[in-house]
Amino acid sequence: MLKIKILLILLVPLMAGGCGQPPATGDVSPAKIYRHAMDGAPGSLDPAQAASIYANFVVVNIYDTLYRYKYLARPYQLQPNLAAAMPEISEDGLEVTIRLRQGVHFINDPAFEDGTGREIKAHDFVYSIKRHFDPVTRAQGAWLWQQRIEGLDRWKAEGSDYDLEVSGLRALDDYTVQIRLTRPFPQLIHTLTQGFAAIVPREAVEKYGQMLASHPVGSGPFMLTSRDSVRVVMVRNPHYRKEPFDLADEGFDHAIHEAWGLQKLQGKSPPFLDQLEIEFINEGAARWNAFSAGEVDFIKVPVSQFDSILSRREPPQLKPELAERFHFEASSESGFIYTNFNMADERIGYHPDPGQDRRNQALRCAMVKAFDWTRSNETFFYKIGRVFPGVLTPAVPEYDAAGDTSYIQRDLEGARQLLAENGWNEETLPVLEYGFPNGVTERQSFEQFRNFMTDAGYPADKIRPLIFATYGDYQRAYSAGKVPLINSSWTMDYPDAENLVQLYYGPNASPGTNSANYNNPEYNRLYEASIAMHESPERTAIYRQMNQLLMEDCASITGISRTLLFMWNKDFAMKPDRSFLGGYFMRFVDLAESLNDAP
Amino acid sequence: MMRETWQRLKSDPYGLSGLIVVSVFFLIASCVWSGLLGQGWYEVSGTRWEGISAEHWFGTNLIGQDILQRTLFGTATAFEVGLTVTICSTLLGTVMGALSGWYNHSWLDEIILWLKGVLDAIPFYLFAAAVAFALQGSPWAMHVAMIVTFWTTTARIIRGEVIRIKQRGFIEAARAIGLPGLKTVFRHVLPNTFHLLLVQASIVFVAAINTEVILSFLGLGIQDGVSWGLMLAESSQEVLAGHFGNFLAAGTALFLLLMGFNLLADALQDALDSRRIVR
Repeated sequence: MLKIKILLILLVPLMAGGCGQPPATGDVSPAKIYRHAMDGAPGSLDPAQAASIYANFVVVNIYDTLYRYKYLARPYQLQPNLAAAMPEISEDGLEVTIRLRQGVHFINDPAFEDGTGREIKAHDFVYSIKRHFDPVTRAQGAWLWQQRIEGLDRWKAEGSDYDLEVSGLRALDDYTVQIRLTRPFPQLIHTLTQGFAAIVPREAVEKYGQMLASHPVGSGPFMLTSRDSVRVVMVRNPHYRKEPFDLADEGFDHAIHEAWGLQKLQGKSPPFLDQLEIEFINEGAARWNAFSAGEVDFIKVPVSQFDSILSRREPPQLKPELAERFHFEASSESGFIYTNFNMADERIGYHPDPGQDRRNQALRCAMVKAFDWTRSNETFFYKIGRVFPGVLTPAVPEYDAAGDTSYIQRDLEGARQLLAENGWNEETLPVLEYGFPNGVTERQSFEQFRNFMTDAGYPADKIRPLIFATYGDYQRAYSAGKVPLINSSWTMDYPDAENLVQLYYGPNASPGTNSANYNNPEYNRLYEASIAMHESPERTAIYRQMNQLLMEDCASITGISRTLLFMWNKDFAMKPDRSFLGGYFMRFVDLAESLNDAP
Repeated sequence: MMRETWQRLKSDPYGLSGLIVVSVFFLIASCVWSGLLGQGWYEVSGTRWEGISAEHWFGTNLIGQDILQRTLFGTATAFEVGLTVTICSTLLGTVMGALSGWYNHSWLDEIILWLKGVLDAIPFYLFAAAVAFALQGSPWAMHVAMIVTFWTTTARIIRGEVIRIKQRGFIEAARAIGLPGLKTVFRHVLPNTFHLLLVQASIVFVAAINTEVILSFLGLGIQDGVSWGLMLAESSQEVLAGHFGNFLAAGTALFLLLMGFNLLADALQDALDSRRIVR
């Protein structure tokens, strides 16, 4: 027994040392490890299935995409990644030619002959995009290119044979890709920054099949070493290409970024970390505890902690005692939260009888007036969310800061009057189900929503919860048109307002992104007229007109963009990001000077 | 026998205090059912996380609902779930146990024993969660989950008792005069298991309330309404921010009711113990 005790005493420090000290890169310098906390976990690490922000965070670090966004520049700006330069686009906007960097290799893996990663060629990109149109892949990113790339949908219809060429997606040579579009698609390059567009070697797909979801083989700055439901661990890809960091080119701003120690990155080649760990901690309190205990280096602060960390709300400012230890940033999300009316539901949406159709519209508008955005913002977003009318969020240039805000002002008297004028009363008002996935905040949102409506005279027992076990179940239900009141959120896929206005384009109705099943011919016409336009005053005018139509039809109670608060350990020089493909920033994370200089 | 039991219960101070606690909670639940208390559980009557005040005795929650109103309504939810599950599972367990015991060693007994064995082999909370999940959307999902799992213990107890009782002389006599089997069971055998059923029912009641809280905490319980489990789930997001209203109100109410029921159940068991009553 004594021997066992002695053995344990000897082993415990060894084990503790082993847990906290991963392999060093050199003989003397300690390993640089950054631990990032996220509020959800990825389901799959296969780029074709990288539908969530959690999956994207990992995928863009393990795989390469042709383009990315500049690290520091805001508004977001595109930057070549695996592409050698920005694309060449024909005058009619239909032909896009992209040249790839030469000499970039996949990581070493048994999937390759002799286990050595081979060079990435143009046909790898073609193959990776084709996978989205192969039913076997169960890909989730095809919507980005559906009906847009010439011949790709036909290739799928004809059986997804990889040996058959797609006229609109070709490798002209080893380092040149040519894409032919069915119509101009100004957002194409944005889609090529997505995890969905990451480049996968065919050998790995053929060797690992479905297991590619947990055995990624990429060419990104990091390589996966372990993964489970609570954590992924990645180490630096030792063969990652050398690309010296250029402050000016990445959008460095002295006024903002110098305090975070980013100037020291000039000239160094990312990735700077030896090891990158992402911890998936769903529960806000547990995530906060992990951060407070120093178990993770970064946190998106849970709203329940806003009170305890902020000394001021507008603009958000960290309490001095915390500011001494942590860096802080308040960032408005690009997406928004809304409650859509299901326009395909005759109780609340379109109705074949014109009279009832008008009454339904009045009911929707009364509910919009009854909703109290100020109260909702105060309750769930600590009064620092940004409420805006319609679908154009404050994050896009098309947002009209001086526009009419009556749509988001509570008007209980107006709501009651609208109901009375249109013959709605306690007896005639329909029973409506408000859908949400199981969760404390979601239930509280429902109860608050019901209260807002009861204030306007809607009987409480006529607004009922429709609860789903998971967000996936909920999404399937509303995509099938089974939920009359849809409370959800939209995270922009790319920084272009087109990604917002398409949410209410008729042909995108369920199971597409238009979960409201809104179908206004004038709105559709305007969308189609603007589809080939780049950001311009003309397009802005059209988008604002569409926004106005949406509000007049009262198709949605919208919206609010949350203000996200980030805190991170001062030991790290970095600018965190969560919008679009936030995971890209991790290759630029480095230990701050003070730590580097420490003995 | 009932008088004797009551005398014994009265002389047990713990049992009596348990009875008083349960009675007070039952009175609250009755007032909620009759519309006298807790009807404003869903109303937003204050601002977020208000402290204790004359208007809000237990403060308010995140969205400004009165925590006292919700605690009171939660009492009715607890009793509604407890009573429904107790009555249904006790009835089911009694019938299955009686049939199994009366026809022991028959194919019917074998099937019932096999069914009980299968249900008991599955970890309870996992099974309850699976049933609640399968029936999600139904306001009765949680009740069904508990009834399906709780009847087996009652059935096992009743089976043993029925096997014992059917050897007794008065049952032999009933058979001798040609009374049909099932009539004998329901008229002469089961009334003699009442003391066991009462004790077992009180245990099931406690377990049902406990399980409701756990399932609601996990999001598999109450659909439209409020329960102490939902309040505790809310508190999980509030405690770290320094707001304890939901946690203290629901936790204390749950503790008191379960403690009261446990004391009462223990006292009932002692008071109904036939070895102590029959002299």
